[in-house]
Amino acid sequence: MGAALEFENVGKEYRSLFGRRRFPALDGFNLRVEVGEILGFLGPNGAGKTTAIHLAMGFMRPTSGRGRLLGEPFGHAATRSRVGFLPENVALYPRRAEQLVRFYGALNGMKAAQLGRRTAQVLEIVRLQDDAKRNVSKFSRGMQQRVGLAQALVNDPELLILDEPTSALDPLARVAVRELLLNARAAGKTIFLSSHLLSEVELVCDRVAVLHRGRLVRLGTTADLLQVGQRTQIVARRIAADGFVGAVARNGDVSFSVPANQQRAALERVWQLGGEVISVNPERRSLEEIFLQVTADKSVAAGAA
Amino acid sequence: MKPVLLIAVNFVREQRWPILVLLLWVLLLAFLGLATDAVRQREDLLFVFKQVAVYVLAFSVFFGSSAIYNDRRSRRILSVLAKSVSRQQYLSGLVLGITIACGIYCFALGITGSWTLGEAGFPIWRVWFLMLCLLTACALAGTVALMFSTFLNPFFAAGATAAVMGLPAMVSYVTGSLQWAYVIPVYALAATVLKSSFGSPGGLSWFPLVWAVVETLAFWLLSARIFSYVDIAVSVE
Repeated sequence: MGAALEFENVGKEYRSLFGRRRFPALDGFNLRVEVGEILGFLGPNGAGKTTAIHLAMGFMRPTSGRGRLLGEPFGHAATRSRVGFLPENVALYPRRAEQLVRFYGALNGMKAAQLGRRTAQVLEIVRLQDDAKRNVSKFSRGMQQRVGLAQALVNDPELLILDEPTSALDPLARVAVRELLLNARAAGKTIFLSSHLLSEVELVCDRVAVLHRGRLVRLGTTADLLQVGQRTQIVARRIAADGFVGAVARNGDVSFSVPANQQRAALERVWQLGGEVISVNPERRSLEEIFLQVTADKSVAAGAA
Repeated sequence: MKPVLLIAVNFVREQRWPILVLLLWVLLLAFLGLATDAVRQREDLLFVFKQVAVYVLAFSVFFGSSAIYNDRRSRRILSVLAKSVSRQQYLSGLVLGITIACGIYCFALGITGSWTLGEAGFPIWRVWFLMLCLLTACALAGTVALMFSTFLNPFFAAGATAAVMGLPAMVSYVTGSLQWAYVIPVYALAATVLKSSFGSPGGLSWFPLVWAVVETLAFWLLSARIFSYVDIAVSVE
């Protein structure tokens, strides 16, 4: 399968007036987003995530390297009719939600009849059908973000590029967006999702890329990244925590991890001690732990350098 | 063409309050037409007409120098250029929007001028020719301002536009050479409006009009070229 989005050794440097000061935002950045996947794009503030997205959308030119969006070089206007983009902190013209979505759809060359149908559809998807006639300037930030999502979806895009799509949403709306993303993937769409909400990324993304100081520092499937080698996490009850190395007691439960090949022996020991096994799972880390580890490592490395 | 029209209409809609304020000046002329004896005070009427007419030139520079900046500062430009809209189309939309905004004003002034000045004996065809001169001058001034605003903030863009339009005019004024006035023919077109009188309303001089249209196209192409290199996600300060 081809790449929906591709960065090839892309570098971007911001320069002050007359180029006296330079701020590298991306450095030798390589990434391929495959067709039909949801790729989570993570990184601390200032890592270069938004810069990468803006380069892909053609809002700026790379200082070095090149990239392709749906097979065309970055900045190719016609290709953007197949892309849906939600910027971070979406800004909208003050007019009725319905009018606004139609305006953005028409900019993508959609015909009036198709546009009317699709506008109603996407406003329903983002649950704004009852507020379609209201001016978006009167909307809360969360509602404006939903209008932003609607304008990104109106052209039924092949590739969705979302920069913090749920940052202003309430939990209910977040669940709705999650469902929307999963449905889009099921329909064969590609989603490039930049988010700080790691739990959300963990739930929906097939692969995760972590960016730090303009460089890609981790890339892999979400399952692979979360898996901690071949270890098993065991939770048991009615045993003493000091009976197992590294065991932690919490609310009467004792949890500890053992190498997968010692799992059987560990379970038998729990039963010998009169304990009750509550759960046995392959040990996983949270994305948050990975994120903190990766960014901390690189900070130390950068500090040492 | 459709995105260009959409962006133009959107621009006019966004600028509806400044346009409305501009139209109040036309109302002033209409009020004078109603309140005064058009024939006896025709020189006063013509003076107000000319004065009200040239205001729109300043507004065209204001529109041109602030259009991109406003969209970039509010980040609304991102949602527009994320669609299948090229930067050239975006700029074309703004140029058309500025021209429509000024056109609304010129049309309203043309109607009022035809009524008030026509009653006082000024040729109506001449009123409309002057409005055409004014509109062409506005399109050129707005495009020059737009070009500067692709890389300068509105204040400097307006200053640079004033310099580009004003220097040839000043040289023309000092040296008395007409050629200089046609370097950037905004001054030549404005002068056509300002020098009109009941005694000599003037003829139809098409050269500055055509030349202004050619320059408008040239500046539009130049701005599109410059704008294609601009990082639009980076704010202009």
